[in-house]
Amino acid sequence: MLKRLYDWIDLRIGAREIVQKELTGYLLPRKINEWYSLGSVLLVIFALQVATGILLMIYYVPDAERAFKSITFIMNELPYGWLIRLCHAVGSNMMVAVLMLHMLSTLIMGSYKSPRELNWLTGFLLFTLVQGISLTGYLAPWSQLSFWATTVATNSASAIPAIGPYLVEFLRGGKLVGPPTLGRFFALHVALLPIAIAALIGAHLFLLKRTGISTPPFGDPETNKPWQPKSYSYQSHPGGIPFFPNYALQDLTSICIYFAIFLALVFFAPNLFFTPDAFVPADPFQTPAHIKPEWYFLANYQTLKIFPSELLGLFVQAAAMTFLALLPFIDRSPERHPLKRPLFLACAVGGILLWIGLTVWGHFS
Amino acid sequence: MIKMAHSFSATLQLTALGALLLFALTTVQPTDASAEPPETVCTQCHASLPDQLGTPVALWRKSIHAENGISCDSCHGGNPKDAANAMDRSRGFSGAPGEPEVPGFCGRCHPGVLKDYLASAHGKALGQGGPTCVTCHGNHQVLKASLELINEKSCSRCHSFERARAIKAAMQGTEGHILDIDRRISGFKASGVDTDRLGKALFAERNRFHTLFHDVNVERVKAESIRIDAALGKLDRDLKEIEETRTKRKVVGGIAVFSMLLIALLVHLLKKSYP
Repeated sequence: MLKRLYDWIDLRIGAREIVQKELTGYLLPRKINEWYSLGSVLLVIFALQVATGILLMIYYVPDAERAFKSITFIMNELPYGWLIRLCHAVGSNMMVAVLMLHMLSTLIMGSYKSPRELNWLTGFLLFTLVQGISLTGYLAPWSQLSFWATTVATNSASAIPAIGPYLVEFLRGGKLVGPPTLGRFFALHVALLPIAIAALIGAHLFLLKRTGISTPPFGDPETNKPWQPKSYSYQSHPGGIPFFPNYALQDLTSICIYFAIFLALVFFAPNLFFTPDAFVPADPFQTPAHIKPEWYFLANYQTLKIFPSELLGLFVQAAAMTFLALLPFIDRSPERHPLKRPLFLACAVGGILLWIGLTVWGHFS
Repeated sequence: MIKMAHSFSATLQLTALGALLLFALTTVQPTDASAEPPETVCTQCHASLPDQLGTPVALWRKSIHAENGISCDSCHGGNPKDAANAMDRSRGFSGAPGEPEVPGFCGRCHPGVLKDYLASAHGKALGQGGPTCVTCHGNHQVLKASLELINEKSCSRCHSFERARAIKAAMQGTEGHILDIDRRISGFKASGVDTDRLGKALFAERNRFHTLFHDVNVERVKAESIRIDAALGKLDRDLKEIEETRTKRKVVGGIAVFSMLLIALLVHLLKKSYP
């Protein structure tokens, strides 16, 4: 029955040819490692965020008067509403964490280097958009935490010379965070940013398919002649392993391990990413004692506290992010093995330690 | 070549600007907000005054009133934002009450307690050497109503402690029950459980319990404490139901996590079987 259906489809769209070209005949480097599967994990996370987000939209009311009540209803009355909401909230944090790991592996293995600058740039833009979608989603529950975190986050833009105050008002839809802000952030969160992210994922995958998968820099080289094209060329891997079933099974293993960690958080530590203020309705007249951003913004938060001027703090962060975004254009050496790039390795390890240190400091400050 | 360099430079500038803007929008800054009690011209001025004019401010800062944002003007009237006219009687400043006026003074916000107090032996002795609200609760460092206020040191200023001891013993179990339920409700509330109904029910029982605080009839206090305990038992059962649901979820979660790890292991072994 299934074979007949497959034959029927094959007759019409040439399914066998697609499967051969994209799955069984799509060869990957023999030395490919587990880190390469993080992209697939991220695709699954994004799909799950979209699915849980759509389900939440059925009952969530994006109105300042009713948003908190609708979230309370989802969490307490709606069958399995708590599970859907927690999957969405925990999933957003996990998406940032896995994205960071994916970028880190790309950095260490030098996969951002020429001719893959655009892969890196699209990935970097995806990272900023994922942070943006997390920030806009943060306001949705209209809790004390979301209200005041959004107040301080949007206020940061006021430090930008000349346009700062106008930008803050534009973002908030008024002088202060209020119902218009929720409308704007909701539109960004459920329409503009998901479409932009989906489009960038498409561009990222298109670039990946056009350039081919990079060879890990570890172990014996695949060929005696390193792949350094002067004109467009696809990096093929003759004698490599097929994507299906070999590497698809690795993807599946990584996805299952991800789900084990994700479900452990959802069921055993659902409040890891929430403070008690997340369950108190927003009150513009009562500022909670200590509002801190999500864990992935803690380093930025602490940086702003270190510098005496807010503008200087923003400038330093912007400079660091710009440097990271343009890294493939700055680091032009073809060498990709981390141990043969001591300056890069020292900077990378130092940068990671600095980020961890600032995050811990921000948490306890 | 020059065109290309210009184009690349423009791209760099645009990217830098974009990254700067995006980052500015996604970063946050610290807030100076704190949970300090509200500052008014009353506290600002009196805090610097000596002796009995300044002491009330320091005492008030440690009070349940300060904890809940109840400032000087809430009791004494006046304008807390206008230093020049803050103590103008024509603008509502009422000053400090004389001893017989104290219960009525406090009773403006605590009418139920005033009624209980006036019905009690303490209230009936008002003006004849009997205690007022401030005798037990303090006047500026107002203490939260709790069984701690019934103690030998305080009660024996006016009479023997025996009857008060019996009343306290009868109420102690109920208070412990209330505190335990309150703690559990707060815990659930802080993790997203809708505790509105439970909180309101506890609030009603706690108020009912507090009405006993001014009663000096031991038998009545004992009987009423038993009735309140029964009502608290229902809340206890509701909370246990929530706890059981949470335990069930954890069991299901444990199975789901274990299943995922098992599938991961099996798929990994299957992968190993391919060359």
